[in-house]
Amino acid sequence: MSTAATPSGSPADTPGRTPVAVVPEPTPPTSRRTAAPNRRVWWPSAGTLRGGLLGGIATASGMALTATSGWLIVRASERPVILTLLTAIVAVRAFGMARPAFRYWERLTSHDAALRLLAERRTTAYEALIPLTPARLGRRRRADVLTGVVDDLTDVVDAQVRVTVPVISTAVAGGIVIALTLVLALPVGLVLLALGVVVCLVSGLAVHLESRSLPELLAARAEVTRISELMASQAGELRAVGGWATALGWLEHAHASLDRVTRRISTGRATAASLFLVAVGAAVAVTAVIAQGLPVSTPVKALLVLTPVAVSEAITPLVDAMRALARARGSERRIEALLDLAPAVTVPRADPAGRTAMADPAGHVDDETSGARPGHPAYAGCDLETRGLTASWTGTHTDLTATDLDVPAGSRIAVTGPNGSGKSTLLAVLARHLDPSGGTYRLGGSDALDQPLERTRARIAVVDDETHVFATTLRGNLVLARPDADDDAVEDALRAAGLSALLGELPDGLDTPLGPSGRGLSGGERARLGIARAHVSGRPVVLLDEPVAHLDPPTARAVVEDLTRRTAAPGTNRVTGTDLPGQTIIMVTHRDDGADLFDRVVEVRRPPSGTMSPGTAPHQTAPGPHPDDHQHEPDQPRR
Amino acid sequence: MKPFDPRLLRAVPAARRPVAVLAGTGIAAGLTTIATAFALSAVVVAVVEGHDLTAPLVRLLALFAVRAVLAAVTEWVAAWAGVSVSSALRATLLRRWGSVDADARLEPGAAVSLATAGTAAVEPYAARFLPTLVTAAVVPVLAIATLVVVDWPSALVVVLTLPLLPVFAALIGTATAESTERRWVALAALSGHFLDVVRGLPTLVTYGRARRQVTTVREVSDRHRRATMETLRIAFLSSAALELLATISVAIVAVTVGLRLSTGSMALGPALVAILLAPEAYWPVRRVGAEYHAAADGAVALDAILAQLEPTPTRAPSSSPAGDAASRGGRAAERGEVGRVRLSGVTYAYAGSPVPVIRDLDLVAGPGLTVVTGPSGVGKSTLLDLVAGLRRPVTGTIEAPASHYVTQRPFLATGSVRSALTIGHPATDDQLWEALRAVEVDGVVAALPGGLSADLGDDGFGLSAGQRQRLALARAWLAPETLLLLDEPTAHLDPEGAEHVAAVVAELAERRVVVAVTHRDELLAHADHHLVLGDARSEVVPVPGTPPASPRTAARDAAGEELDR
Repeated sequence: MSTAATPSGSPADTPGRTPVAVVPEPTPPTSRRTAAPNRRVWWPSAGTLRGGLLGGIATASGMALTATSGWLIVRASERPVILTLLTAIVAVRAFGMARPAFRYWERLTSHDAALRLLAERRTTAYEALIPLTPARLGRRRRADVLTGVVDDLTDVVDAQVRVTVPVISTAVAGGIVIALTLVLALPVGLVLLALGVVVCLVSGLAVHLESRSLPELLAARAEVTRISELMASQAGELRAVGGWATALGWLEHAHASLDRVTRRISTGRATAASLFLVAVGAAVAVTAVIAQGLPVSTPVKALLVLTPVAVSEAITPLVDAMRALARARGSERRIEALLDLAPAVTVPRADPAGRTAMADPAGHVDDETSGARPGHPAYAGCDLETRGLTASWTGTHTDLTATDLDVPAGSRIAVTGPNGSGKSTLLAVLARHLDPSGGTYRLGGSDALDQPLERTRARIAVVDDETHVFATTLRGNLVLARPDADDDAVEDALRAAGLSALLGELPDGLDTPLGPSGRGLSGGERARLGIARAHVSGRPVVLLDEPVAHLDPPTARAVVEDLTRRTAAPGTNRVTGTDLPGQTIIMVTHRDDGADLFDRVVEVRRPPSGTMSPGTAPHQTAPGPHPDDHQHEPDQPRR
Repeated sequence: MKPFDPRLLRAVPAARRPVAVLAGTGIAAGLTTIATAFALSAVVVAVVEGHDLTAPLVRLLALFAVRAVLAAVTEWVAAWAGVSVSSALRATLLRRWGSVDADARLEPGAAVSLATAGTAAVEPYAARFLPTLVTAAVVPVLAIATLVVVDWPSALVVVLTLPLLPVFAALIGTATAESTERRWVALAALSGHFLDVVRGLPTLVTYGRARRQVTTVREVSDRHRRATMETLRIAFLSSAALELLATISVAIVAVTVGLRLSTGSMALGPALVAILLAPEAYWPVRRVGAEYHAAADGAVALDAILAQLEPTPTRAPSSSPAGDAASRGGRAAERGEVGRVRLSGVTYAYAGSPVPVIRDLDLVAGPGLTVVTGPSGVGKSTLLDLVAGLRRPVTGTIEAPASHYVTQRPFLATGSVRSALTIGHPATDDQLWEALRAVEVDGVVAALPGGLSADLGDDGFGLSAGQRQRLALARAWLAPETLLLLDEPTAHLDPEGAEHVAAVVAELAERRVVVAVTHRDELLAHADHHLVLGDARSEVVPVPGTPPASPRTAARDAAGEELDR
């Protein structure tokens, strides 16, 4: 999927390696997989087509059961010789047994097909997400965005079982019934044909009505979720300032609008359900009038009158099917909107080693050979230097104004500044998650923008504000950062991150399972786990993006204290005791928790609103021992 | 898990109406279904016997019209009931959490998931499962009762065979329970894998491990498919068996009716009614089983939510209704009274901790600034929580007027500056500016595009930590409460800013009771009273430069002191 993606915005032969040229199309979040077809969610796979056909037989058996029962009763009332009824009795039993049997077969077939499709779509979606991670997943709450993708994929595939199969079943069964009726009694067949047309029109109307209000419904649900999340997690803070009643008011308001939208969206379903019944009623009436005058036997007349009633059994599932269709379409659109984004980083074109030619367009090649010797991480930091670095997430709005940064190997820097000042943008550029729009970036003496992406990234460990705990053991959660790390290295990292107490209390030590079904971790422990991972990786540079944003202040400070603690003299490698510099640490923090614990505090200023004006802002930083670099902002708090 | 938990109606009165309306439409739909069987057979009889069709057709069409309306109403009511019940549950749950001790709440992650995903899962339960349950309870009974009148032998067949359905279902259930259980566990792990890997994608990308997971995702998805199919094979087989059982039962009715018709012992009309009604006795029962699987999550979530709504008598209700302080203190403020804080013998331990963090504390704080200091972890913030009524003491009593409490991370909602400042109490723009001036943050707000209407929060125009702190103090300045609790009000501020904030706090203390927790010195200079919370005993230290404590006070046990000025 992702290998098919080729940059269409900037020509591939753009000369040089000017970072500005690397920034793709000027339109915000760039879409470039224009060739991707707008997948039709209901389009059957081979398996669901087979399921639909089997379902059609099951549905047709059900209709036949009703109709032949009617015929049997009326024929019996004419008191024929009992033997003449036997055929009908056998038919009734056969249809009665065929319906559950074929239904069972259909359900197995279509579910298996849908699950195959799910496996396939999950794999391709996962692959497509890799080059978009993390820069295109939004700035915050990426895990929620990703959960949304997982849910949307399920909805889309669900459409096969909930839409495709019932629609094919109804169409097949309806087709059989209409064809037979046309042969048996042409006028009644035409009535059923008209009924079929009405059902199609009503279904279309239902999908339209349902889809129309779906965005509003999702927005209303999101608002309810936002407010209840706020109230559930910050009940104390809200009550403290007397805001609980106000928050209850917000909740009530959000519930009221959810209620309104739900009522509106149910109009589609309600309309379809009632129009189906109106149509069936009309069809029964017209058929009765026609059948009475037809030159057929009385049992056949009864059969004809009951047929539209039997058909209604096949129509009813369409109400739910149309609802599922509207939902799946919305989900598919969201998935496409995300997966069609262009990666936020492109591969440098002038690559002397030619290695990236082998990589996928985003330059993601797994790092298997990074860092130093196996076993123990080396903790050798490296210098980091930027000049006039600017960046933009959308290509139109400047999110980071020209920034000069000088970070000597092994130093610990805190980056602060108000929201929107570009702290996180700076970090994304340094991590090579986002291409800069201008300026230079040197890492360990070489041009980081010129290096193959994976080589630069392999020198940097990133810790964000939502450490993911994988459903595996404690060891598994750590060694993924460095597969060849031994237990000593893992335990050292845990100690350095302040988790030795946790390790001590775990029954199975490093083998204790974590994650949803294992031991739960507190917020502080999670943040520390993320930091321990970075330690295990032994990568020279650690970038932390508000790792303690969700922690209470004392815990936040304790975590930062452990992060910045040096057990040996400054500049000495903590683990080996040699004179190698330790890991270079740059932490972005929204609040200035523990910023005083760092060697230096860098204040980033908000870029002027409007379009790009790189290079206009004064330098934000000055190398030196004094943490206070923000005299230009008298209102800013100082340490 | 019970199919329907009557605790829902007791705990959430707002859910009663939707459930009642659901039951009402269910019964109405059942009645029209029965009536339709009669009208339809009348039409068939008229067609077959060549009678005039007008009257039966009019009746049938009228019934179809009623059913069409009922179908629409049912869809509306189901959607409305789903949202109403889940909203009512959510509101009740959050209200409950808003009134209990901080320790009685779930930890934030679990609380958030129960209040959002948990209550949302109840929606399909209420919107789909409950109507099905009503239908299953009503329609078979109506159908059998009608059959008894119309054709009792058919009714007998139905009555004899219908119980086979639940019996059969239970038999299949017990026979496969063990393997089903085993499979569900395996299935849960497999289906969780993709979510786990995808949510962890940023980490995998950082450490260069993302690509190699592609194969794993494919393999695990395939194993997930096979495991799911194993489970479904049994589930579908049992529902197919039930359907077969129902169809055979209906066929028995049809055949016996047919035989009696052919011997002339039965008329056509009742015979048609019998075969049209017989299926109505079976399908609602089968549908309950089908829908129950879809609603199982909701039933589980409902159980967890109702457990939260149970009264929890773990803490003796504080004899002083600190939790109700808002109403009491509000009136006190109107009367212009300035109350005082009185703690006697207060002991508090966190849930699950045997060691109290605060032990047998006596304290009286009157008008003026009382500064509380002490080493980290000694329970300073907990003390403020107790006075604010957010926590209830294990033993002892707390008397306190309504308070405004500036927590360490003051709550500032996403939204305008104005709405952040008026979250507790309404105020005019003039009052807002006055308060902003008092804490010297007016310049910052004026510089924001939109001023008081400027958006705060991640997507709006952000503020530094110090500015947020000042905004929180401006809100405290506006608060009408006579008691002000401040947790580290000078954190995040530079020395100059802290000095200024301390002066603002001192000014506030001229009109109210102010209790502030701090580890910095600026506030101490302005303090009227100083309480040192220690590991062993709390101790009141006279503040230098202020009149010494009266001999009466000094003579008392050092643990609890009259702190009046």
